[in-house]
Amino acid sequence: MTYSSELSELIEEFKEIDDKMERLEMVFDLADEVNLLPPQEWSEATRVVGCQSEAHVRVEVINACVNLESGADSKLVQGLMGILTLAIHGTEVAEALKLTPDFATEMGVLNTLSPSRSNGFRNMFDKVMREIEQIQGD
Amino acid sequence: MTVGEIMREDFPILQRKINGYPLVYLDNAATTQKPASVINAMNDYYANSNANVHRAVHTLAGEATEGYESCRTALKERFNTDKAIITSGTTEAINLVAHAWGRANLSDGDAIILTEMEHHSDIVPWQMLAQEKNIELRYVPVMEDLTLDMELFESAIEGAKLVCVVHISNVLGVCNPIEEIVSIANKHGAKVLLDAAQSAPHQDIDFKSIGVDFMAFSAHKMCGPTGIGALLVADDAFEEMQPFMGGGDMIETVSIHGSTYQTNEQKFEAGTPRIAEAIGWTEALNWLSSINIVAEHKRILESARWLASKLRAMGMNVYGRHDDHDAAVVSFLHPTMNSEDLAHLLDARGFAVRTGHHCAQPLLDRLQITGTLRVSLYFYNTQEEVESFIEYFSEILERFA
Repeated sequence: MTYSSELSELIEEFKEIDDKMERLEMVFDLADEVNLLPPQEWSEATRVVGCQSEAHVRVEVINACVNLESGADSKLVQGLMGILTLAIHGTEVAEALKLTPDFATEMGVLNTLSPSRSNGFRNMFDKVMREIEQIQGD
Repeated sequence: MTVGEIMREDFPILQRKINGYPLVYLDNAATTQKPASVINAMNDYYANSNANVHRAVHTLAGEATEGYESCRTALKERFNTDKAIITSGTTEAINLVAHAWGRANLSDGDAIILTEMEHHSDIVPWQMLAQEKNIELRYVPVMEDLTLDMELFESAIEGAKLVCVVHISNVLGVCNPIEEIVSIANKHGAKVLLDAAQSAPHQDIDFKSIGVDFMAFSAHKMCGPTGIGALLVADDAFEEMQPFMGGGDMIETVSIHGSTYQTNEQKFEAGTPRIAEAIGWTEALNWLSSINIVAEHKRILESARWLASKLRAMGMNVYGRHDDHDAAVVSFLHPTMNSEDLAHLLDARGFAVRTGHHCAQPLLDRLQITGTLRVSLYFYNTQEEVESFIEYFSEILERFA
């Protein structure tokens, strides 16, 4: 599928890095890209189930575009949230729903992580998509 | 070459590179690596001697039986015991005590003593039995200095029939005073089950001298294969055990009216046993016998002490005391950084460590934490590896903290 220019750039950037440490460093840096959902607003409703860390997301649709807020107690997990933010925050709902988690595989970012962390990313992705669909259906 | 470096040549996996960097394996409390002799023995069994054990008379069956039973003989010799039941590991061994001894000898209103330091494997089977038979579970607290509250233990043991205690904590590395616990238990007529999963790989344990009634441990934490372990049992406790799993190998005769059972350890080893694993474990025990376990333990404990002091100096919260009999385990937390993040960063340069609750949630509840980052050493680890860990860990903190 075709990605936004920002996401395509990020995918290319990740592909160019061979060193696992540098990749992790980049994911860490992307933790700053989230629209922070502060810990005091974390709840059962925002929790990403199946993630080993405390990971929380809140999805809204504002003016037909996705608004994603997120936060985690792990900088690495929050970095993954940053990637998802760059992928879908502010995009139109119809466009956002076309996205699959393949973009993260294409980036090579999931191979950098332990199986539990990469499953956590998929759980987070699924929760966000499910909530967008629910809002869309309401 | 140092002693650790000489040993490393026996372990093929230690030549491996992870992400282009030499593997520094520091997750030994979870499982240890296997020497080539163990791997070769298992391969050789499957390539040349594979057969089922005990009843057949053909050559292969004889070789398989001899291989399997040689493991039991090696266990009896190493640990000085008359009865060694081969199980799938520590967990099955403890469950076997719960089912084979607990069900037959405990009843409504009896009490079992556990400690807050236990692994889940030495808690959950007793919770299940307690629910089934209305048994009271009493937990000995862990004190601020990370030792068991022996005063409370003495008062809790009144009327208890069984004490289940971990020898060495897999989280803290703390070695518990088993002789004292056995002495108190004996005075009150309580039996003692020792979870020796972390101690059997690091100490020379004489089962008869230590005086416990049951001792459970796994092969894979002492250079042996996964999927096999043992339950050592004192003679009188053995006589009080009833068969738990029924099936092949554990019977003497079977008719449509009923069955009679073996009288030896096979009574508790229903079904085709772990033959290749037993053969591999024997080789692991041989490997352990070839080294001076006391001197090696002292050496890696010194490395653990050095590591703990460096980490403390770097501002980490270290959980452990590293006394002479403690294990070479260093559990710690960074004041702000997530342990799993640190473990990912360590893995990027080949350092294998463990994070999480280490299957000891009650202990972590007591310490008011949810997990630690744990470095655990074994005899093939070197001081140089520990120093390289500190060097790289400092680099991580500079870049990411």
